[in-house]
Amino acid sequence: MNAPLEDANAGLIKQARAGDARAFEALAREVERPLYRHVQRIVGESADAEDCVQDALFSAWRSIRAFEGDSFRAWIFRIATNRALDRLRSRKRHPELPLDPPADDAEITWAEPAAPGPDLVQIVGDREALAAVEAALATLPVDQRTVLLLRDIEGFAYEEIAVITAVEIGTVKSRIHRGRLAVRNALVAKGWRGTAG
Amino acid sequence: MHPLEDLSAYLDGELDGGRRAAVESHLAACDSCRTRLAQLRATARLIAALPSPVPARSLVPRVAVPIWLAPLRTLATIGSGAALFLFIASALTTSVTQTSSGGAAAPALAPQPEQAQSDRARGIASAGPSGAAGPAGPSGPSVPGVPTGVPAPAFGVAASVSPPQKSATESDRSAAGTPTPTAVVRADSGTTAPTAVALGAPERAPTTPSPLVWLALAIALAALALVLHRRLRSA
Repeated sequence: MNAPLEDANAGLIKQARAGDARAFEALAREVERPLYRHVQRIVGESADAEDCVQDALFSAWRSIRAFEGDSFRAWIFRIATNRALDRLRSRKRHPELPLDPPADDAEITWAEPAAPGPDLVQIVGDREALAAVEAALATLPVDQRTVLLLRDIEGFAYEEIAVITAVEIGTVKSRIHRGRLAVRNALVAKGWRGTAG
Repeated sequence: MHPLEDLSAYLDGELDGGRRAAVESHLAACDSCRTRLAQLRATARLIAALPSPVPARSLVPRVAVPIWLAPLRTLATIGSGAALFLFIASALTTSVTQTSSGGAAAPALAPQPEQAQSDRARGIASAGPSGAAGPAGPSGPSVPGVPTGVPAPAFGVAASVSPPQKSATESDRSAAGTPTPTAVVRADSGTTAPTAVALGAPERAPTTPSPLVWLALAIALAALALVLHRRLRSA
């Protein structure tokens, strides 16, 4: 999914690494919105997300000469993710923060629907369902939320996510599964019927 | 044993060959896991279908524009305006100065013809008794005491640009055959106003630049401000 982008921007990446500011700005414009939607769902607040993305892009420009990886997109997402997580950590030092979500390693089981409702596999695109998914994502532990967003929205491979979040691939796999299951359980708790197996 | 932990990885195509085959084999025989896989797929699609929030402003840092460019544009604009003001002010000052100096010089210069005629008359009168007479220049009468071949009109012109009192003295000196350097310079210049400027210029030049210098500076700074403005807008 990301390979075509990297191929198309290979020239820009090379120019940016050579110090071409305009080439970097062109690259930044391409990843600006994906970075924002990713960071916004991590930090929650739009203003914080904008600051994080801008800081991340500026930091990327300052250190782009040191970039030697295969994926510019994964590299810049790593910078932005770290900025977002730093922002969350700084918030934790403030008393107005909400309670922490469940721990990453909390046991998650397959919840069964309490009452009949629409089939989960038939509600894709439903506005109410999307709102429920958004709310469910916000309740996930940030580590699960981050990898789930990187996988299901940004389309990164597990290996890239491992690099971006600096964890093992096994951890990525576990977090993605737990995150999806938590969102699925949240939808079921809203009344949607899990298809009986 | 249900391979629950592998279902998401299987869905994402992230299982290696052996585990993938094992999951596929299990799914073929387990309705429950097929249902769970379908629910996980639907969940992933819902997450992927979430609307993308859009930032309220551009987040791309303008790294292509040096940080000092905007302040420099402002300085160039202000500098251009200041230079233009100085040009106008200095032009007005110069105009007023020239007007006032021209008005003061006019009365002094006004009696020039009469003075020249007076000088000539005095020269003729003084030459009369001596009887010494050289070849007359274009103006006619020769100056007494002047060696033959020296053109009298040169001193005549010099006398005409001098103030009345001084020109009389110089005329006397000329008559005595001792023309002063000042008289020679004036005779060479041949005009009155340039002579006055030439005499005053060496004292004022270091402190008051020409108005054209300010005009040139204003134009140069305006051009710089325009270039910087276009550079900022194109970035």
